[in-house]
Amino acid sequence: MNTFIEQAVMAPLKLLAGYAAAIFPNLVAMGILLLAGLLVARVASILAERLLRVLGFDHLCNRLGVTAALLRAGVKTDPSRLIGSSLHWTVVLVASVAAVSALNLAPVNQVARSLLAYVPRLITASIILLAGYVASNFASQAILIAAVNAGLAPARLLATCSRWGLQLLAVAMALEQLGIAEQIVVVGFGITWGGLVLAAAIAFGFGATDLAKTVLEKKLLPTRTDMPDDLRHW
Amino acid sequence: MGSHCRTGRRTPMSHERIPLAPATENRLREIDFADILVGIPSYNNAATVGHVVRAVAAGLAKYFPTKRAVLVNADGGSSDDTTAVVAQTAVDHRQLLIADRQSVLHRIVTPYHGIPGKGSAFRTIFEIARRLNARACAVVDADLRSISPEWIEMLLRPTMEGEFDYVAPFYLRHKYDGTITNSLAYPLTRALYGEQIRQPIGGEFGFSGALAAHYLDQHVWESEVARFGIDIWMTTEAIACGARVCQSFLGAKIHNPKDPASDLSDMLRQVVGSLFASMERHATVWAAVTGSHPVPLFGFPYEVGVEPVHVDVDRMVSHFQQGLTDLAPLWQEILSPATFEHLTDLNGRDGKDCRIPDELWSRIVFDAAASYHHQVLPREHLLKCLTPLYLGRTASFVRATMGLTSVEAERAVEQLCATFENRKPYLLERWDERQARWDGSANADKDGAGVGRSS
Repeated sequence: MNTFIEQAVMAPLKLLAGYAAAIFPNLVAMGILLLAGLLVARVASILAERLLRVLGFDHLCNRLGVTAALLRAGVKTDPSRLIGSSLHWTVVLVASVAAVSALNLAPVNQVARSLLAYVPRLITASIILLAGYVASNFASQAILIAAVNAGLAPARLLATCSRWGLQLLAVAMALEQLGIAEQIVVVGFGITWGGLVLAAAIAFGFGATDLAKTVLEKKLLPTRTDMPDDLRHW
Repeated sequence: MGSHCRTGRRTPMSHERIPLAPATENRLREIDFADILVGIPSYNNAATVGHVVRAVAAGLAKYFPTKRAVLVNADGGSSDDTTAVVAQTAVDHRQLLIADRQSVLHRIVTPYHGIPGKGSAFRTIFEIARRLNARACAVVDADLRSISPEWIEMLLRPTMEGEFDYVAPFYLRHKYDGTITNSLAYPLTRALYGEQIRQPIGGEFGFSGALAAHYLDQHVWESEVARFGIDIWMTTEAIACGARVCQSFLGAKIHNPKDPASDLSDMLRQVVGSLFASMERHATVWAAVTGSHPVPLFGFPYEVGVEPVHVDVDRMVSHFQQGLTDLAPLWQEILSPATFEHLTDLNGRDGKDCRIPDELWSRIVFDAAASYHHQVLPREHLLKCLTPLYLGRTASFVRATMGLTSVEAERAVEQLCATFENRKPYLLERWDERQARWDGSANADKDGAGVGRSS
């Protein structure tokens, strides 16, 4: 009976205790790494935020129109804090991966390495998305103003289409960077744009023949003028 | 000129030479020096420039017969015969009863470098004036039809005699001619700098050689100043640096219609951009000015018939109303809440009642200037956003002065100027305030970026 208990119960328990004893230092190391990571993340984000404020980073963003773009996107955090937060979460992510790696388990290590290898792509995709977003807002604003000044009735439609078009382009580029369904994204984007252009061309051809004629006449026959008044603003 | 500057921000005399064409350099060596220089910027003006050259040549021969004079044509690459016309146009002095011409009129026809535009052409003219040590200079547009020899005397005499450094033109114009001047450039310049210069963007100016050198030393030649912004910049720079300013009566101004392809929005952006940029540079000068005073006017003012101007008010109102609908989010960022609310009250009103009164217009202009200063929007967007507002104001002015004589319409312009002057404290308040850019004043306050936006 004693032999049975020894073999059936105690042996696995000893084995488990052995594993636990072997893994315990790794667990402690993981905890320490995680805590240290959180602490470093907090300190680094606060320092970075303060340093950026002292250097006038917010004013620079204000001048470059980045702040206005963020406000329009509903991001009411100032750029310095945004950078601080990004740094915080990046450090937390790296510390978490390092902490998990401390367990020294082969499958976990493999996942951690894959995650770390993916980080540069993630950062590049984020930059593409951010740049695309800012550029789309700037371009749509410019198009809206130009269209209103030209007296075009669908000014807002033109501006909205340009914004979504550019944002779609940025999303497609970001997804390609992340390696998510690369072929589908490229083909889908091509089909969407091609379809839009074809639809516009057909609509213009069928529905606005006279307008096309007038536009071409204006371009090709410079003698025709349609100045409605002779007001001299100068 | 340095003694005239009171801003304390003038750059020292750099003596940095502007590059000129080799043929122009050779011509300058031949001419060596000049007492008087008259500049004509041009671009495809073959039809009118001959008349301008004849008027300049006759004016110099008649009123400055003993002075060594140079005529400079800075051309922007005309594809017609503009430069040939300038070089070959001759004047029959006997026909003009001029007998005592004692000095040859030297001519320089040169291309200019830099951003294509009137300002870059002027820069070349200023450089030639500096190289020749010219004492008195004048510039006249190449598309003028009403210029006469007397204009040359009126523009040059005040600086030639050393009493003044800058001569602004004073024209008789139709009440609807020069609406950017009437609704913006004149009221704002007058309220800011306290000088009642009626045509601050006239196009024809007289100035001393020293002031030309001062202009050259300013680092503005890559901005709007290189284009249509040059006229208002020359006037504001002259006032701000303490130059002695006067006006000369030139009669009626008749010139070729502007190129129909030239976009009003671009023109407005260049003029207003130049004006607002000058405000930033000379904030210490204009902030201290209250009220305004008349500027000496030379010449013999007389009444003259001016060409009638047909105006399509409904089209302007429709532009303004589209702006009210489509650009409202952008205007909201530029204007103070009270101004924006007042403006939105106009939305939906019938065309005839859709008017921007003087008071509201002055606040719109001041808000726009302050927002330009605080950079609440990309500056180019901000300036272009103003086009529908300007058209709305122009339509309001036309409606308000319809049926009035030129003198009565002029009174309306003077009333607008008085409103601008009275509302100047509002501009100062808006200029100094900083925008609350983000929620949470703690964030903004840490970097000094924000206090609440007051109206």
